[in-house]
Amino acid sequence: MDNNLIKLKPIEASPALPNLDKLCDMEAGRMSGKIFWDGDIYEQELEKIFARCWLFVAHESQIPKAGDYIATTMGEDEVLVVRQKDASIKVLINACPHRGNKVCFAEAGNARGFICNYHGWAFGTDGALRGMHESGVYEDSAFDKSQHGLREARVDSYKGLVFATFAADAPSLAEYLGPMAWYLDVILDNDEGGTEFAGGCIRSTIECNWKIAAENFVGDILHAGWTHDSAARAMLGGAVAQVSDFPESWSVNWNGHGYEFARDLVGNAAVLGESAINKYLHLQAPKAAERLGEFRSRMLGAVSSFTLFPNFSFLPGQNTMRVWQPRGPNKIELYTWVIVNKNAPQDVKDKWRRGAMMTFSPTGVFEMDDGENWEYCTKTSRGKVTRYQDLYVGLGMNTRLADTDLPGNVFKGQLNEANSRAFYQYWKDLLKAPSWADVPDRNGQLR
Amino acid sequence: MTTRVLLCQRDELTPGSLKKVPNAEVGDICVYNLEGQYYATADLCTHATASLAEGDLEDGLITCPVHWGQFDVRTGEAVTFPCEKHLRTYQIIVTDKEVFADVAKEAEEALAADLA
Repeated sequence: MDNNLIKLKPIEASPALPNLDKLCDMEAGRMSGKIFWDGDIYEQELEKIFARCWLFVAHESQIPKAGDYIATTMGEDEVLVVRQKDASIKVLINACPHRGNKVCFAEAGNARGFICNYHGWAFGTDGALRGMHESGVYEDSAFDKSQHGLREARVDSYKGLVFATFAADAPSLAEYLGPMAWYLDVILDNDEGGTEFAGGCIRSTIECNWKIAAENFVGDILHAGWTHDSAARAMLGGAVAQVSDFPESWSVNWNGHGYEFARDLVGNAAVLGESAINKYLHLQAPKAAERLGEFRSRMLGAVSSFTLFPNFSFLPGQNTMRVWQPRGPNKIELYTWVIVNKNAPQDVKDKWRRGAMMTFSPTGVFEMDDGENWEYCTKTSRGKVTRYQDLYVGLGMNTRLADTDLPGNVFKGQLNEANSRAFYQYWKDLLKAPSWADVPDRNGQLR
Repeated sequence: MTTRVLLCQRDELTPGSLKKVPNAEVGDICVYNLEGQYYATADLCTHATASLAEGDLEDGLITCPVHWGQFDVRTGEAVTFPCEKHLRTYQIIVTDKEVFADVAKEAEEALAADLA
């Protein structure tokens, strides 16, 4: 695919920062807090990660009808995700190609098009420029309307989840997800009816670096038994499950994505304190086994979490999906949704929506626990000396499982920082690479 | 000089579709097939420069593609802001195989609606 097709000018790659190996060494399992604080690194991330990777932009259920749209961001680039008349989906930059003004100010809705407030440039839902205030005067300048529509990103979807990328040279979405799609199916394909988002988008801000949040979901269940102990006692009347007691659990990763999981079916869901949800999962498991096999049917609401690189995360069981939108090196805007099976009973969907709000949202007890930790993980690095000191990321080094049928890079146990190492390694590889073709394939080599 | 203008073949437009017919004398014309019944209006929106043939036709209303004002294509009535000035209509003449407009006459429905 060339850039003409998506009407985007390519960004000329900035030279890689010289000291990345000092700041991030995953062979040694150490990094420095500077990567959570530094403005130059953040600018490189916007260019080499957020302008390059496939980013989650919407669930198809959010925009069922032609003209339905939602507004979101890809990194800090504002975009509109719009259902077309032919049922396809376009992702358009929410900025007028005349003076750059935002063309849509609503977060979601249905429209026949978008009209800029400044000079009246009017665009169809397909992004094509349809007309302008005083359109006659443009004709003297040999103006070609077909060249001045809203700019488009590349779009693809996987079982209801819509992704977009600004990079013409990015691999296909299927290649990007790789074997992680097999694990995503636990959530996206455990029922014949597929999934939908229940309710709207909950937006909040946390003053932390986006990587700390993404890494927490990529493979850090370790924190839960300690950080969330008091909240779990309040919600559940008991402690968080002792993960080290599980007879078996895994950390798997690929291309910087990571999924850590046990097979206890309801461990995550149980913290919502809703017996109807536990019951639903128990009834759903045999149906899921028919579609996905017995192994994955035990993962439905299990103690588990994942992140798709760079910033799209999910908790099975709590059923919260979220994007950690970067807003500078030390701030994120958190977009949170609740995903449910379309065929689930309405009262179960409602309980999931409420449960997610009680746990992982601005009103949720677990989010508050995490938010404070993440803010201080970020802010301590404002200290000039502190930010250069080593942070340990070595837990579970050399625990790769060779004799397993599970897809991806598979590591023993959830209490393991293998996924975090894979996440930061991929992060560094992208920051160093001048283009997608230069990103090394480290699958099979990670420790 | 005849005021009869060829718009299209009778079987050319499926119900619910529309087409722009260039005309230098009276300005471009838009012809619509509403469930088998043909109608014609001026193609240029009365609000701003826009070809109505690029708009959406639903339930007898044409929605301008630029600012989404609407007209009733049968009477030419401007029914949705920002369109306030009614649209010129033309009387349709259907022969065995062809559809014509009489550009000297308004549509019967427009005359009956007496929008002036």
